[in-house]
Amino acid sequence: MTLDVVAFWGLAVVVIGSALAVVLTKNLFHSVLWLALSLTGTAGIFLSLDAEFLAAVQLLLYAGGVITIVVFAIVVTERLVGDRLTQVSRRLLTGVILAGALLVALLRFLRGAELPVEQPVIAVDVTRVLGQVLMTEFVLPFELLAVLLLVGLLGALYFARPED
Amino acid sequence: MPLSAYLTLAAVLFAVGFFGVVTRRNTVGILLGIELMLNAVNINLVAFARYNADIVGMLFTSFTIPITVAEVALGLAIVILMFRMKRTAVADHLDILKG
Amino acid sequence: MTDPALPALIALLLPAGAFVILAVVAPLRRSGRPAAYLSVLFAAGALAAALASLRVASASGGFSSWLWAWIPTEAGPLTSVGVLADGDSALMLVLVALVSFLVQVYSLGYLSDEPAPSLGRYYTYQSLFAFSMMGLVLAPNFVQLFINWELVGLCSYLLIGYWYPRPEAARAAVKAFWITKAGDVGFLIGIVLLWRQAGTFDFLELLSLTESGLMPLAGLGVITFCIYLGASGKSAQFPFHIWLPDAMEGPTPVSALIHAATMVTAGVYLLTRTVWLFRLTPDVMQIIAWNGAFTALLAAVLACVQTDIKRVLAYSTVSQLGYMMAAIGAGFASAGFLHLLTHGIFKALLFLGAGAVIHAVGTNDIFQMGGLGRKMPQTTIVFVVGTLSLAGIPFFGGFFSKEEILGATLAGGFPGPFAMLLVGAFLTAFYMFRVVFITFAGAPAGAHGHEHHPHDAPFSMALPLWILAVLSLGAGILFAFWHPKAEFETLGWLTPTAVLVALAGIALAYLVYQRRVISAESLARAFTPIRVAALRRFWLDDLFAFVYRGLMLTLSRLVGWIDRYLVDGVLNVLSAWTLMAGDRLRHLQSGRAQDYVYGIALGVLLLMLWTRWPR
Repeated sequence: MTLDVVAFWGLAVVVIGSALAVVLTKNLFHSVLWLALSLTGTAGIFLSLDAEFLAAVQLLLYAGGVITIVVFAIVVTERLVGDRLTQVSRRLLTGVILAGALLVALLRFLRGAELPVEQPVIAVDVTRVLGQVLMTEFVLPFELLAVLLLVGLLGALYFARPED
Repeated sequence: MPLSAYLTLAAVLFAVGFFGVVTRRNTVGILLGIELMLNAVNINLVAFARYNADIVGMLFTSFTIPITVAEVALGLAIVILMFRMKRTAVADHLDILKG
Repeated sequence: MTDPALPALIALLLPAGAFVILAVVAPLRRSGRPAAYLSVLFAAGALAAALASLRVASASGGFSSWLWAWIPTEAGPLTSVGVLADGDSALMLVLVALVSFLVQVYSLGYLSDEPAPSLGRYYTYQSLFAFSMMGLVLAPNFVQLFINWELVGLCSYLLIGYWYPRPEAARAAVKAFWITKAGDVGFLIGIVLLWRQAGTFDFLELLSLTESGLMPLAGLGVITFCIYLGASGKSAQFPFHIWLPDAMEGPTPVSALIHAATMVTAGVYLLTRTVWLFRLTPDVMQIIAWNGAFTALLAAVLACVQTDIKRVLAYSTVSQLGYMMAAIGAGFASAGFLHLLTHGIFKALLFLGAGAVIHAVGTNDIFQMGGLGRKMPQTTIVFVVGTLSLAGIPFFGGFFSKEEILGATLAGGFPGPFAMLLVGAFLTAFYMFRVVFITFAGAPAGAHGHEHHPHDAPFSMALPLWILAVLSLGAGILFAFWHPKAEFETLGWLTPTAVLVALAGIALAYLVYQRRVISAESLARAFTPIRVAALRRFWLDDLFAFVYRGLMLTLSRLVGWIDRYLVDGVLNVLSAWTLMAGDRLRHLQSGRAQDYVYGIALGVLLLMLWTRWPR
């Protein structure tokens, strides 16, 4: 029972458990908080995969940014609508069946494939390599990403403008 | 841990997210489900990158995360706009596409 | 010129041209009299050409055919169209052209009161009929003959139903069409079977096959019987005769042309043309002979009780057609053909004469006429000439040919039919002179029509009458001194017997209707059962109506039910299901994105299954 295994299983429980909580909780605000926990757990998974940079990005953008946005959105819409936002899920059974089928299909796919068992030894620093590649081979998508973010920002601003 | 463990984790997370997308009545709830699904994809990418010693997977992820953020922002903007128009958050009532 | 086919072709195409012009150029047609003159002119041209053809054909003694291949198939053309001009067809052509021309001239006077567009329509049909009949006469093969056969039937329908606003006329036209159609179906079957048997439609080829003994005999009886069915439909043999009396609803010139001289003789002509084929099947010949004689007798009986002058003539035509068929069945087609020619002349004469009477008096009922002899002397003379021809008195047109037929039946070994024909001759003389005495002699009876003053016919009607009368009398005198050689031994006692029988009939009619020595009522009482049956036309019409109504309507109701509930039912069920399905499926388009996600997920699942099924 190595640390690896324990860490993985612990994180797995956190991620899945909080994900279930996200989709099953009645109170929307609670859902968001559970999502935050799930995203943080994911950051931990990234760490176990030696992707420190991505773990940091995950925490900053996802657990920080996205959650903040969603919270704000809930508060704003609650104000607009006027009552506390609760939700009752519908079509639970068909959802379960369909999701279950999807899961089963995916797992069967996995079972058929030849997958490596051991993590290969890496000599390099992942972050450094990531940075280099990002700035040389993939600089074009990088720039496009910047443009995309700008466009998204403008769009969000436009949509959320006050009514005149 | 074998790679399949991570992939299984991602698959389960994906399924849970999908369940959330199809069952939640509130639009924001649906968006949360989408978040979970995207998360699962990211885990997949990074795991493959690690086990195949290929940096491209992580590169991919470092793109999808910002894009997801942008998408969430825009999605919520739309939700707020819908609220202004229809005074409801219930996804069932957003049926303008009905045909 | 030595080729009779060329003038024959011209004679054929002239009325066709008239028809096309009148059919296409509507203003001309609607103008009435100009259209009539055009048609008459072309008919005159056709007559001249037909006479030329006859002259050449009888001089050269041979035949000639002009053919154009038609319906090309892999194994060569299926059949041909064109003209086959020989002695028989040339004679028939002249008859058709002559009567056609005379009737068209006559119609100028008879139908002078018709509105112009209707008159134009009449002459269009007349030209079409002339073309069709001539095409039938000149046909070199069964296909062209059948096509023209049907065309002739169509013209008959159009002309009988000329006054179609009258319901009786419309019904009569349909009835004629239906019943001849029944025969035509048999005819078509016979033609097709013959083609399967012999491989060709062409008359000359079939003739050479027969003569060289190469015609396969198996099933030939069925073939000839089927062809006979077609002939008996058109030529009003029992039991198909019932359409002819009703066809009198058409204008009288139409009756003269179609139902006396030409169309009804098409059946006889057909058998004459193909008699070499029928000779191979003696059983069918027997049927033809017996049925012909029976028809002759039956129709003669029916003619005795008619009060409509045209109906008498109609039944007389049926009877005479029976005579012709009997001769053919007995094996001597030339006798039948000769009678066809003479009968064509004097029956047309009688019809046109009757038309003159009807035109003058305003009614068809002979008991409302009477004493017309004094008021319409010319008409009386020509009518009596025709009657004497029909009765078979020497020196008049029909004498020789009728005697030939009687002799033929005897020589062919058919004593039964002979007896029937002899009795028929007696009755023929009787009923015709009954009409003559009631109509022309005696005192005027009944209403002569308010505005009608019986007078002789105008020139346009009188001229054809005189021409026909002269021809009839002339033929009679001619045959008295020179006649075509008979194919059989004429028995010495035949001629006097025939003449005596005819005179006896005339005498009886004289006694009953002129001198009133024997009362008509006592005569009627003596034959009451037959008389009653005859008045009901022996219930044959009722039988046909019953069969038609019972059989056909039941069948059509059944078919209708199947169509409505099964065929349509299937479609209706399918469409109902489609509507239901659409209704249910509509809910798929809920407009809610969440539901669409369902769809996408399902699709992805299915794709995954499909690509990785044999795991």
